[in-house]
Amino acid sequence: MFANASDELSDAPAALAARARRRLLDLAVSRPVHLGASLSVVDILVAVHRAFGFTPARSADPDRHRLVLSKGHSVWALYCVLAELGMPGLDDPRAGHPLDGTPGVEAATGALGHGLSIGAGLAEAARLDGSDRRTAVVLGDGELNEGSVWEAAMFAAHRRLGNLVAVVDRNTLQQEGPTEQVLALEPLAAKWESFGWRVAEVDGHDCGLLVDTLTRPSAPTDRPTVLVAHTVKGRGVPYMEGEPRFHHLQLTERQHREAVAALDPRPAVAR
Amino acid sequence: MTAPAARRPAYAPMRPAVAQVLGEAADADPALVVLGADGYGLATQVRDRHPRRYIDVGIAEANLVGVASGLARSGRPVVVGTMAPFLVRRAAEQIRNDVCNPGLNVTFLGVGGGVSYGTLGPTHHVPEDLGFFSGLPNTRVFCPTDVVDAAWAVREALAWPGPAYVRLGAREDRVVHPADREFRADGLLLAEPGEALAVATGVGVPVALDAAGLLAGHGVRLGVLALPVVKPFPAERVRELATGLRAVAVVEEHLDSTGITQHTARALVGRWQGAFLPHAVDDSYPPLGDRAELLDHFGITAEAVAACLLASLGRRSEAR
Repeated sequence: MFANASDELSDAPAALAARARRRLLDLAVSRPVHLGASLSVVDILVAVHRAFGFTPARSADPDRHRLVLSKGHSVWALYCVLAELGMPGLDDPRAGHPLDGTPGVEAATGALGHGLSIGAGLAEAARLDGSDRRTAVVLGDGELNEGSVWEAAMFAAHRRLGNLVAVVDRNTLQQEGPTEQVLALEPLAAKWESFGWRVAEVDGHDCGLLVDTLTRPSAPTDRPTVLVAHTVKGRGVPYMEGEPRFHHLQLTERQHREAVAALDPRPAVAR
Repeated sequence: MTAPAARRPAYAPMRPAVAQVLGEAADADPALVVLGADGYGLATQVRDRHPRRYIDVGIAEANLVGVASGLARSGRPVVVGTMAPFLVRRAAEQIRNDVCNPGLNVTFLGVGGGVSYGTLGPTHHVPEDLGFFSGLPNTRVFCPTDVVDAAWAVREALAWPGPAYVRLGAREDRVVHPADREFRADGLLLAEPGEALAVATGVGVPVALDAAGLLAGHGVRLGVLALPVVKPFPAERVRELATGLRAVAVVEEHLDSTGITQHTARALVGRWQGAFLPHAVDDSYPPLGDRAELLDHFGITAEAVAACLLASLGRRSEAR
């Protein structure tokens, strides 16, 4: 039936991501947000939630899969993705970083370099429980400057945490400029590989591909996996893409109108 | 009769006793997990009997505490045991944000608090550990004196469903308490005050007891309130005991600005008048010395406490 096909389409990850981006722009009119980094991570967050079978009803299940947003300043994207997935209580969020107790938030973050260690602890607990639940940690690329990330990377590989997946939002920009100018990360995939991780480089805006990659059975299963997800800061609003000045701001009414008009409703489909 | 030999102070390390407490706790609670950072002296029994529930993260304190947070967020009680200076300073942000702010059930055991690592030098001193943890809401803070109240403090910390810190000695500490001592969270009055009171914690307790012995020879009765629990601080009890006394001394192996010196002063300010005599680490980095030399440097000795009290009470000091 046509109606069913339409429901299926609106439920597709790419369509959900497009609605989350629109919601994000609407939020940015009434409060300052980390817009560029939020726009870049929307597709990743949609894909992880989809791959993990997230539903609001399951969000309190002790045996749920876990997502830790380690790049906490992108919380605005998380709010919008969760709201589009039906999580109540997120229409008018105020906190600029994830807070414990917020629906759908697994851990308060914002001080960078904490999430992968927390994720490793969640993964250790799953293994001790004999559960097959998985843990995903979404990291910023600038965040990889923090030494604690590499403590956790070494630990997760040593402990053979095959139930842990890290996704790096590789948008190549941090606050003051290109990552390669501030503190070079490349060769990034080789770094993770040398730490003992299974590495996949993926298009971080191709929701379908991300979901496939996250749900594909991993072999060998005793290595943690990292997806280096290539993204564009500001993704979805062409005039914001790759522009550092859209890192953190509140949109004027006019900027909002222009952004909504420019918003590609199906950003991943053509790629 | 062998009474004289029994009067010689005994010394014992806290670690084996704490290892036994943790082993028993792990036996009783199948969810409990113990984490260490390339040092398992506290976890010997857990490691032997429950090897899956002891995790060594290597020399990486920030990750140590982050992993503890993840385990605790999954509903497991967690014990983190490592060297206090590195726990407090390297993992400060993880302790605050990832464990104490959400009020998770993690017990931190800091080996070598204060200046007890002595000649290992200033990198290994942490006279700010109790103040750091006391500044974190939801968190209980313990500073035992010897092997007896160390075991009690760890049991109490494990029983508290939120975050807790227990400062443990680096090496051997003088045994002050009989094995069957019953402890109270608001302190133990080990000597009744006459003219003055000493509020003491950790190694400050034997120092205060010795000072009381010295002062007895001068006809001065120094009360000794031993505090194995630093937070919550028993302000009301300190005020009650100080009432009518001419002097209050504080004895602690900690910065005076954030330790029980500050808590005692805050309990008394505006409500009590008399001589206030802190014997604590002041606002300076310690010189090179073993623990006893460092305590002497900061005036944390029975002789210094007794001399200051005699002077403040207008008695001629013959204590030295």
